[in-house]
Amino acid sequence: MEDISPPVSESSEPSDSMQDFYRLQQELLAITLILTGLIFFPVWYFYSFNIALNYLLGACTGVVYLKLLARNVEQLGNQKDKLGKSHIAIFVGLIIVGTQWNGLHVLPVFLGFLTYKAALIVYTLKTLLNSSD
Amino acid sequence: MDPIVQAASVFSAALAIGLASIGPGIGQGNAAGQAVEGIARQPEAEGKIRGTLLLTLAFMESLTIYGLVIALVLLFANPFAV
Repeated sequence: MEDISPPVSESSEPSDSMQDFYRLQQELLAITLILTGLIFFPVWYFYSFNIALNYLLGACTGVVYLKLLARNVEQLGNQKDKLGKSHIAIFVGLIIVGTQWNGLHVLPVFLGFLTYKAALIVYTLKTLLNSSD
Repeated sequence: MDPIVQAASVFSAALAIGLASIGPGIGQGNAAGQAVEGIARQPEAEGKIRGTLLLTLAFMESLTIYGLVIALVLLFANPFAV
């Protein structure tokens, strides 16, 4: 039977082609951390230091979640055949701790966790605006 | 807590996470499969494909997370508990 799959170029180095992915990962983490810093102080000012710490806990967990998701995507197809579930476990642990611990409130923790999503939207808008120029 | 409220909460939590996982699960499977296929065809574009996959998975997984939050709040911080 004739092989109809396109030829695979041998010259391309996987490590070189992965630079885009690592750059995107670093950029997303940086935007998440910047947004966390920008939102933390207004929350402290308008609500309380305790609520701001709750927000910070959620945001830090969001950074870890994004890092684990990126690691799972990086390993997909190379070392693993399917996506891992470790990042979901991090989130479940955060919400359970947020609901069970007396000093924590679930809403600021959850909204802090969603900071990574705001970073994704910022990155997508930035890419969109750069490509339209 | 009232046993009927407790039973309804557990049932609702199961429904929330179960139904919220169906769509993103199918979508993530499709996206990951197509991405791996694309990498096999064009290894020189691996970084770009994996980057796009990371963004799409993060967007898709947030739908599951919303259902998970509802389920966990119903189980561990039930607002209907007296």
